[in-house]
Amino acid sequence: MNKASRHSIKVCDCQILAHYQFEGEQYILTLASDMIAKATKPGQFVHITVSNSLAMRRPISIMSVDTENGTFDLLYKVVGEGTRQLSQRKVGDVLSVIGPIGNGFELTDKKRPLLIGGGVGMPPMIAIAQQTKDLDYQSFAILGSEVPFPFANKLADNNKDYQGATRTMPELEDWGIECRLASLQDFKGVFKGFVTDLASVYLEGLTTDERMQVEVYACGPHPMLVAVASLAKEYNLPCQVSLEENMACAVGGCAGCVVEVKTDQGIAMKRICVDGPVFDAYQVF
Amino acid sequence: MHNNLKTQFCGLSLNSPIVLLSGCVGFGEEYTRIDGFSNADVGAVCLKGITLEPRLGNIPHRVCETPSGMINAIGLQNPGTHAVINNILPKLDKVETRFIINISGSSIEEYGEIAKRFDDTDIDAIEINISCPNVKEGGVAFGNDPDMSYQVVEICRKNTVKPIITKLSPNQTNIAFSAQRCIDAGTDGLAVINTLMGMAIDTKTKKPIIGNNQGGLSGPAIKPIALLKVHQVYQVSKHHNVPIIGQGGITTANDAIEFIIAGAATVGIGTALFYDPLVCHKINKGISQYLSDNNLGGVDELVGTLALNSTVLTCDTGINK
Ligand SMILES: Cc1cc2nc3c(=O)[nH]c(=O)nc-3n(C[C@H](O)[C@H](O)[C@H](O)COP(=O)(O)OP(=O)(O)OC[C@H]3O[C@@H](n4cnc5c(N)ncnc54)[C@H](O)[C@@H]3O)c2cc1C
Ligand SMILES: Cc1cc2nc3c(=O)[nH]c(=O)nc-3n(C[C@H](O)[C@H](O)[C@H](O)COP(=O)(O)O)c2cc1C
Ligand code: FES
Repeated sequence: MNKASRHSIKVCDCQILAHYQFEGEQYILTLASDMIAKATKPGQFVHITVSNSLAMRRPISIMSVDTENGTFDLLYKVVGEGTRQLSQRKVGDVLSVIGPIGNGFELTDKKRPLLIGGGVGMPPMIAIAQQTKDLDYQSFAILGSEVPFPFANKLADNNKDYQGATRTMPELEDWGIECRLASLQDFKGVFKGFVTDLASVYLEGLTTDERMQVEVYACGPHPMLVAVASLAKEYNLPCQVSLEENMACAVGGCAGCVVEVKTDQGIAMKRICVDGPVFDAYQVF
Repeated sequence: MHNNLKTQFCGLSLNSPIVLLSGCVGFGEEYTRIDGFSNADVGAVCLKGITLEPRLGNIPHRVCETPSGMINAIGLQNPGTHAVINNILPKLDKVETRFIINISGSSIEEYGEIAKRFDDTDIDAIEINISCPNVKEGGVAFGNDPDMSYQVVEICRKNTVKPIITKLSPNQTNIAFSAQRCIDAGTDGLAVINTLMGMAIDTKTKKPIIGNNQGGLSGPAIKPIALLKVHQVYQVSKHHNVPIIGQGGITTANDAIEFIIAGAATVGIGTALFYDPLVCHKINKGISQYLSDNNLGGVDELVGTLALNSTVLTCDTGINK
């Protein structure tokens, strides 16, 4: 462990400031913590005590931060008991939160980040978008969902049509980041197909020089990440992916959350909580 | 740190009766990522279980939540004895606390070999893990056979002058007998208990959730079992002045005090950290408060003070007349 990691993770009691429900049992939760809001980088997550009756915490990515007001937002979907209990917590309740945790995504000298988020893998992509909005980057985000998107989408100002994809996430539009949506469902203005198909459409629209400037960032279900990694390979693009695994401690103590990683010394089992959650796609797929 | 928490264990001076348990705090430094956490708040830290050669460990999932606890099957992922001695031990801050290495072998000789290698280091003590439920060869196979346990402790005893703590498995019929054999073989201390074997099944796929199919159950779910085992082992160990690290589901100061009353000289904290990384402060404070409230000068005055109920009915009911 390097010395810089010392004391980097805070244990905070965070008050719930807002808690909105969206279709498909998706929720956006706003929590108060100046320390976490200020210290977070895209791709990091928090480990939350959802209720006193469960023995373990739940890991959830940080979607966006408001450093002025000291708050941060999470987007989660109810998939089991823990997330169900979280969904019942009310504004004003206090949750014990550990964070920010993990290495996060690394912005590189590639100026065209291609952000691909599927389902509840969208949050870290939104976090990168937020970080790059004021920097010298030209990000393009592709968000995929099989349930209605957890935001009211709108027509993109630039009117560009990527094979039927014309609508975007309002927040990203406000940040000046181009974004399109994909789904296998019939949603108006949304690309019908996989996020990777829409990514190909986007990449094909770039010049060779522009394409050389692309770095792929992705978070989502495992099959999606596998497809994204092979797309990146096909176009010969660098690719960072954020992974998930059951976690106990989330601070590197238990080796419970590992993934097999190819290294120069051979296979290594790396901890997703502190060695990740972001890995080089070429090392894990 | 509260003064009345200072205690002696197997010849080591500890700041606090709290021992952080093997497998829960990596190789000693991981929890210092947490702001407010310090190894100086605990008496000793047991490092992750190690083997002679490096091990990659088991396939995921390695952990899963169960009612009031969790199952783990890490499979002793570790870089091997050589790397631990050369790369990890030199980096530990030995001013803050005492460090205990936790060793596993696939043969009696391997246990002996690892003990010998650590004899030359500045590690404070060696914990012999004869109770790991998560590896195919070795581990609990040694712990469930009192004669094998004896041989493992005996060879380690021959190979080191460091304090030896033997970690007993609850997955056996007579833990007190096993403790007696380990004492006969020369162990200085006992750790009671390791995890209980358990399973969890995903009803959608009909597969065990844990990659290794089964694993070790820890956390509050096992506390009553652990407490009884400590009590049973203490009945043997007290005659030899062999101290116990009581462990299994301790989450609060009150839990810790129960273990001390049952016979534990020190208390292990493992799974509780996952829920509350700063739990040691609270447990230290609670034990210290209890000692002063009860006019006790230190933890040693509380060890094994259990006042058993008289289990024989004494009133004359006349039924048998
Ligand atoms: C780094 C990271 C970031 C994440 N970010 C988000 C996010 O932004 N939004 C979101 O909705 N979900 C996210 N997840 C997944 C989320 O942690 C799980 O959906 C949640 O733990 C499920 O808990 P449950 O009790 O509702 O489900 P159950 O299936 O009942 O959970 C049983 C146990 O398995 C664990 N578990 C189940 N699924 C997962 C999973 N995919 N990853 C890790 N542990 C799991 C649970 O924590 C719990 O201990 C993230 C996971 C990780 C590791
Ligand atoms: C994730 C995890 C890993 C563990 N690894 C080891 C190990 O390597 N060696 C060992 O002797 N015990 C190991 N244990 C057992 C603990 O040291 C402890 O004996 C047990 O968990 C009971 O205490 P608790 O309920 O407070 O966690 C492990 C436990 C957990 C939860
Ligand atoms: S969850 Fe414990 S090491 Fe990652």
